[in-house]
Amino acid sequence: MGRFIFRRLLGMGPFLLLVSISVFMLIKLTPGDFVQNYAAALAASGETVDDAMLAAMRQRYGLDQPLIVQYWDWISGVVRGDFGYSFQWQQPVVNLIGERMGLTLVLSVSTLLFTWAVALPIGVYSAVRRYSFGDYFFTLLGFIGLAVPGFLLGLVLMYVGVSVFHSDVGGLFSPPFIDAPWSLARVRDLMAHLWIPMVILGTSGAASLIRIMRANLLDQLHQPYVDTARAKGLSEFTLLVRYPIRVALNPFVSTIGWVLPNLVSGSVILSIVLNLPTAGPLLLQALLGQDQYLAGAFLLLMCTLTVVGTLLSDILLALLDPRIRFQ
Amino acid sequence: MFKWVMAAALAAGTMTGGWAARAAEYHEAPALAALVAQGKLPPVAKRLPDHPEVVKPVDQVGKYGGALRSAIRGDSDHNAILKMVGPQGLTRWAPDYSHPVPNLAESWEMSPDATTYTFHLRPGAKWSDGAPFTADDITFVVNYLFNDKQFFAAPPSQYVVAGKPIRAEKVDEYTVKLIAAAPYLRLPEVLATPLGQHPTLYAMHYCKQFTPKYNPDLPKLLAATHQPDWPTLFRQKCGDIEIPARWANPEKPTMDPWIIQTPYTGGASQVIMRRNPYFWQVDTAGNQLPYIDRLDLKVISDVQAIVLAAIGGQLDLQVRHINTINNKPVLAQHAAQGGYSLEELTPTDSSAMALWFNQSTTNTKTRPWLTSKDFRVALSLGIDRNEINEIVFLGQGRPWQIGPLPGDKFYDKRLGTQYTDYDPAKANAMLDKLGLNKRDGNGFRLTPSGEKLFLTVDCMVVDTAAIDTMELIKKQWAKIGIDLGINTMERSLYYERGQNATYDIGTYAVPGGRNPTLDPRALVAIHTLDSRQSIPWVKWYTTGGKQGEEPSPGMKERMKLWDEWKQSADPAKADALFRQVLSLAADGFEVVGTVSAVTTYGVRSNKLGNVPPSMPNAWDYPNPAPTLPQQYYFK
Repeated sequence: MGRFIFRRLLGMGPFLLLVSISVFMLIKLTPGDFVQNYAAALAASGETVDDAMLAAMRQRYGLDQPLIVQYWDWISGVVRGDFGYSFQWQQPVVNLIGERMGLTLVLSVSTLLFTWAVALPIGVYSAVRRYSFGDYFFTLLGFIGLAVPGFLLGLVLMYVGVSVFHSDVGGLFSPPFIDAPWSLARVRDLMAHLWIPMVILGTSGAASLIRIMRANLLDQLHQPYVDTARAKGLSEFTLLVRYPIRVALNPFVSTIGWVLPNLVSGSVILSIVLNLPTAGPLLLQALLGQDQYLAGAFLLLMCTLTVVGTLLSDILLALLDPRIRFQ
Repeated sequence: MFKWVMAAALAAGTMTGGWAARAAEYHEAPALAALVAQGKLPPVAKRLPDHPEVVKPVDQVGKYGGALRSAIRGDSDHNAILKMVGPQGLTRWAPDYSHPVPNLAESWEMSPDATTYTFHLRPGAKWSDGAPFTADDITFVVNYLFNDKQFFAAPPSQYVVAGKPIRAEKVDEYTVKLIAAAPYLRLPEVLATPLGQHPTLYAMHYCKQFTPKYNPDLPKLLAATHQPDWPTLFRQKCGDIEIPARWANPEKPTMDPWIIQTPYTGGASQVIMRRNPYFWQVDTAGNQLPYIDRLDLKVISDVQAIVLAAIGGQLDLQVRHINTINNKPVLAQHAAQGGYSLEELTPTDSSAMALWFNQSTTNTKTRPWLTSKDFRVALSLGIDRNEINEIVFLGQGRPWQIGPLPGDKFYDKRLGTQYTDYDPAKANAMLDKLGLNKRDGNGFRLTPSGEKLFLTVDCMVVDTAAIDTMELIKKQWAKIGIDLGINTMERSLYYERGQNATYDIGTYAVPGGRNPTLDPRALVAIHTLDSRQSIPWVKWYTTGGKQGEEPSPGMKERMKLWDEWKQSADPAKADALFRQVLSLAADGFEVVGTVSAVTTYGVRSNKLGNVPPSMPNAWDYPNPAPTLPQQYYFK
């Protein structure tokens, strides 16, 4: 086990280096650069910008250097923990990302818990009571949940919230609490707002997990070992929990690997619609504005989290399922 | 003396009435009075200038208090804040956008040769930290920063006349001269626009600590703040006109009615501004402005969510982002329920959507046709503008080419209305005559060499009006045998193709329906990014013929007239020169308009008083600021 983890960790270095190169290339592949985008934004509001001014900006930001030099400047900083400067906000990238990661973490973890809390029992119920009324009901609900895009659900819920309950449009806090220091009242305020994005984000995830859980469990329920256990007189509940469910749980654990990168990129559209102060909207802005170091830092962070997440779920899977070997 | 001064004096007269407040009669907001009582703030008469500007409220004297709620977006929407607090320049626009009036300068005079302007500042006016606002603040920017190659690689073009930046001369503490190398009639107008705020943007006593000239310890400061160079540090602390960092430093002194409390940064979910205790205007009853305590600007990224907040009555004033023509029905429908009225935003653009025929396209197959005026005229006659108006612009506009709208002093009927009739028969005849008389099996025209003539048009994804309009035009042009492809693309690609001149036709609204001299990009190819009739012509013009492509004779003539106009010292002669430009632009006909710019709508809470029911909507007139939000109040 220890050797397995060590080997995986060792492989991560070169892999992340390759990732950083492709991330940088991808950002630079888009037409234009930050300065041109900036100029275009000014032009949209009617300003003529001097070509000399633009050239000076390119020089100040190092955008006139060859690609390889720009990459080296960036990656050598990253290795030292300096992720560079956001052109757009004139702020260090680290501060910008840090500001948003905490709430993103809260939202993602609570969404995951919600998803499991809903999907697990319903999935088991649907499998055990196959073709019952309840199964059909939840299947229908699940397909609706899968089919409705999150942002649409978000807009509809917000419309109802605004026109019926006169609630605020989006956000995770009411105005008095937005910039207040942390307190019990602020946590309560967060909880009062958090459930809407949690439910919307969790709906489609839960719907698909219900289907997976149901299918996996159905595979197991007719295996000979289940019949054997039943013949030996094990109670139906103990039997279910101890054997088939444990096997069927594998997909749940695998998804932990996807949760971490989702911290950054998951729910971008929904976060914009619901106006959540999470990482997604900032990433999108950085990409659209070609704020290359901010975007690069986000993408690199995402890839690192994917790698770490995959490792974590591999380890958990091995612990859960003795059939999985490290070799 | 001269027309400008007359106009300014007249406007000042109508704005201020004849009322003169005596020191003892000034009043202030209760919160500030409490601070004065605690000894934390000097009394109001000491905070105001000796002669504060007396503003006549739009309807009536208001009362203090309240927070005005509005929405801004998260991605570089710093101009939304600017438009609320206003660019407090030496001059500002009269509320009707007709001429500049005194602002931080209480008056000004122009020399007979129009090169020297003497501005009289308000004695005793103070920055938001209580330090005096004087001529030194202006010379600091104009004489030092404009000429520092590190800070401005080239001084901003609006302050450059005849190749030289303007310079400032301090006469006394409260009098300063701005001197241009050649006549500069437009200066008071330029100073009223957001881009003309530089002379009053920086408080010298605060910002000088970030400059090498005034701070010998600067290297230490740079090291302590981890900044690469001083212009970066300076802009981070003191801002610049169009960067978000301008609203990110609560310490920075300003002359604005409200000052930053919660800054606008990358992670901000709201921006809060609180009243400036040293603001330099009072109402006719001697109450220090602003009336409203706070601006609560919520950061909402999604435009639909802003619309939702507006119809839910959660925004007291919103004139930005939601003012598209297709939002009007939903805003009107919810007005009673949301407790708001529609704020009419009169257009200042000329054409809501126009086709900019690229005269320098790199596409050799289409170039001979795009550069032919008869071809463009035929295509213009092949556009059914009434259909576009009804379907895309909900019937709010009218068929229109380009140029100043009726009512503007420069209105040119020919430029605005020539070739706007829908006449496919005539268009077909003209195209046949041009040598495009053969057609393929689908009825599309072939060039004399037998190839199909295929035009493409570039549209930005965000510009839905352009895309919808082009879809209609594609159908209309098919009837005259012209095959059109519509290229929709992201903004950065659109601009890149503009720079490389690889497109046939560009689409964009045309500015200049009002005050056309402020932005003549469609008339004269001078805008480096957006004169899409030919960016290579712009390069030719800006480099004095060294780069780019030589323009058509008609355009060269316009460029010459435009240069003469810029340096004319006589207003009547300047106007005559500009009329010539308009007439030559009508002859040139490089930009084909569709429908005139349409009135759009924002929302205004019914509880908000002193807001004019209608205001021009523009960037150069950064509404609502010129209607003075500092005299808005909650009923």
